[in-house]
Amino acid sequence: MKFEHREIPEGINVTDVHPLKELAVLLTGAAILIVAVVYILGLSAGFLAPYIPFATEQRLVASASYAIEPHTDTDAERYLQQVTDRVVKVMDLPEEIDITLHYSAGDTVNAFATLGGNVVVFRGLLAKLPNENALAMLLAHEIAHVKHRDPIVSLTRGVTISTALGVLLGFSDLDLMGEAGVYTMLHFSRVMEQKADTEALQAVYKLYGHTQGATDLFQVIHDWHQRSGSGEGVEFMQSHPLDQNRIKNLNALASSNEWPQAGGITALPQSFLDGLKQSSNDIQDE
Amino acid sequence: MTNLIIFLVLMTLGYLVGQMAEKKHYKSIIQREKQLRELPTIASRFPPTDKLFDQHLVMGNTVISVDYFKRFIAALRNLLGGRVTSYESLLDRARRESLLRMKQQADAMGAEYVFNVKYETASISKGRKNAIGSVEVLAYGTALIASGSGNEV
Repeated sequence: MKFEHREIPEGINVTDVHPLKELAVLLTGAAILIVAVVYILGLSAGFLAPYIPFATEQRLVASASYAIEPHTDTDAERYLQQVTDRVVKVMDLPEEIDITLHYSAGDTVNAFATLGGNVVVFRGLLAKLPNENALAMLLAHEIAHVKHRDPIVSLTRGVTISTALGVLLGFSDLDLMGEAGVYTMLHFSRVMEQKADTEALQAVYKLYGHTQGATDLFQVIHDWHQRSGSGEGVEFMQSHPLDQNRIKNLNALASSNEWPQAGGITALPQSFLDGLKQSSNDIQDE
Repeated sequence: MTNLIIFLVLMTLGYLVGQMAEKKHYKSIIQREKQLRELPTIASRFPPTDKLFDQHLVMGNTVISVDYFKRFIAALRNLLGGRVTSYESLLDRARRESLLRMKQQADAMGAEYVFNVKYETASISKGRKNAIGSVEVLAYGTALIASGSGNEV
């Protein structure tokens, strides 16, 4: 017997694939998988979460110590409550849902609806509104979120999807792939906003008999976005549709329903504007 | 955004440096394999009987770590299944390097053959899945050294 060592032929134990090609194929595959999983879970959450009783939602918030502004009985808040009551009346809310309005004197240019029918409006945004119609639009938009059960749907969706992504991606180097999931989730958020806009415009129409002034709300927000330099960027990366698109959609909605888009705006009462200023001063004094 | 930039930098670095190191390593492996070709390494347990040999245990050991790029590809593979090609070359290098080191040792002892060659592979990352991505490959065998050419055991 002869023992010898021959030259080893190359490329048998190693698959000859270009690493970059492999990366491209895998990244595409993983992105498709994640988007599909998030999309399916998001749809299921949207379908199932509204079956959670509203009372459960209220209990959930009651047990969490939500940092929501306490009520004070000022002119501004009385007026806000008054408009809210009128908006609620035209919105056909299901019986078990009730809206609790909270006013915050903070500078934040925002308003939001959260679990348990709590709607928070900030002075920062209110002070920019040009008329009551825009205010009604804002309140109707937030109330529409509550009516559609958006806060509980978002919570359910968020918890389900982040759990699923956690399991799927683990605590590996793949957490960056979760971004694909986040952008998919934003799609649901934008759909919610759009539906709330539609519902709100309908409420404004019912309230005033026309829709003039309603889109002023988004014009205000748009101007603020421009001025604060927080450019809106690309829509698929945003939780809300772009302001200009919202205005366009609302105008289209009004014309397709033959809702008059003119009819005179209602001014905000001076006592309300003074009240806003007063509460802003109060905050600075503190 | 910052995460994405860090990721891209690590990926690019991992890819460029990893590919360069791999190419260089393969070049050196092939060259050294040629140099040591005269020393046969055999997996058989039965040494030639025509001559008397002293026997000596020889071993070669390599610890090799994975770069960021390869690790990311392997993590994606974990999700989708299939051949983890990015680790194939890594392990191939580790095995061949270990064998070469073993042969170097045998050669230095004046061995004519190395018999009963075996490999052991161990992952160093046990229990710390993502902290360390290294493997150890140990090649060992029995060096046969012509009797009288070394010290009697």
